[in-house]
Amino acid sequence: MKFYPFSIFGWILLLGGCFEYHPYDVRLQEKYKQINQKNLDRLLATVPHSDTVCFAFVGDTQRWYDETEACVEHINRRNDIDFVVHGGDISDFGMKKEFCWVHDIMSGLHVPYVAIIGNHDHLGSGGEIYEAMYGDLNFSFVYGGIKFLCLNTNALDFDYATPVPDFQFLSQEMKDTVEQTYDQTIAMMHVEPGDLVFNNNVKDIFHEYLKHFKNLRFCIHAHAHCLKKSDMFGDGIMYYGADCMKHRNYLLFKVTQDDYSCEVVYF
Amino acid sequence: MIIRVKLFIFRTVMKVLGLLLALSAPVSAFAVQDRYEQKVERYQNSWNRLIPRYQKLQFAGAMGVFSLGIGWDYGKNKQWESDLLFGYLPRFDGDHGHLTITLKQNYIPWKLNIKRSRWRVEPFTMSLYMNKIFGDEFWTREPDKYPDGYYGLATNTRFNLAFGQRIDFRLKPEGSSERITLFYEFGTNDLYLISAFTNKSLRVSEIFSLSLGLKFQFL
Repeated sequence: MKFYPFSIFGWILLLGGCFEYHPYDVRLQEKYKQINQKNLDRLLATVPHSDTVCFAFVGDTQRWYDETEACVEHINRRNDIDFVVHGGDISDFGMKKEFCWVHDIMSGLHVPYVAIIGNHDHLGSGGEIYEAMYGDLNFSFVYGGIKFLCLNTNALDFDYATPVPDFQFLSQEMKDTVEQTYDQTIAMMHVEPGDLVFNNNVKDIFHEYLKHFKNLRFCIHAHAHCLKKSDMFGDGIMYYGADCMKHRNYLLFKVTQDDYSCEVVYF
Repeated sequence: MIIRVKLFIFRTVMKVLGLLLALSAPVSAFAVQDRYEQKVERYQNSWNRLIPRYQKLQFAGAMGVFSLGIGWDYGKNKQWESDLLFGYLPRFDGDHGHLTITLKQNYIPWKLNIKRSRWRVEPFTMSLYMNKIFGDEFWTREPDKYPDGYYGLATNTRFNLAFGQRIDFRLKPEGSSERITLFYEFGTNDLYLISAFTNKSLRVSEIFSLSLGLKFQFL
């Protein structure tokens, strides 16, 4: 915690626009709204550096702001990354300020980033805050001929009224293949199949369903607060688990037409 | 002679006794009446102490956009205050509005009267308060579907700490305690403090927020 009593700027910040109605209010400034869409617009206006799509996948940021800052600095020092994916658990307690603090740091990235919803992001009105800030809980985009599925898998935080994972979304995405030109698929989520937050009644079906997408290469998740790598369903489709920010590392993926690599980068 | 004297003494004693008896009946009735009235008065006084002494209106302060409530001041110098506030939080970009309830304890160590004026300055106030927000998505303990202590936090209850200053004006020159007070506070909560203590990158200005209020003193 730093405080400079003689910095006029500090006092202006302190006095101006800093009424807080409630930690869980959903009152957002324009710059904090629809971040995923804004960043995807930025991303899709560019083309990959080469025929290799290179992206970083960062895990739970929760209450590790210092580490997240270091991570952003580290990623900014590279020039081979096309975009960054935040694997969920943006916040620790689902409070608006936490989401904003993380975005303030992540918006310092030179490349666009998208964020997936994590189970902690549902706490209190966190789900509403995520929707206002980032957009739909399930979304997808196609970049460099790869379809990226970003899925809400935090079933425990929902009742059955909301389908998690959302098969209707997945089947709709499958139908859209005609319009979008892609030849590979990568699925990304916060909670991996088998975790208690996942709806394990459908974990096999979920995986089978994902395999219906064109050339499913691998899946990525966060949540576990440790590095993970497993051929979960014994069919060669790997699930890569990203660590949390506390342990100061992120996953770097390089995907080409017929190969891919996953590297753990420490910072 | 002796008999007469004895008779006289006897009569006198009887008279006195009679007089005493005659007097004592209403006296004891008064005494009973008195004790009852005292009891009633004590009873009413103790309930009277529960009559709110002031009303408050507060803007922001992590308990809704506006909060309205009542309160009591006490202590030798009326340096303590307890508020009970009800707040409303609109939905903004979310799905629902919410009601909140706040129990607030204020400490006002100094009250400085400005000479030859009806103004008074309270240069420092400190408040501790507990806010509870109502709504299905907020709970004290996680619902049963989660393993015990999975999140280990009450999302509906926040503990807040605030510091502020006040300026106070006596409405009538004398003879009444009617006053109006304008105050501001900078406050934060338990979770923000936890976040700031473990992260150098969070500035004090990021965890504290401003709120404004008015207090109308009646008693």
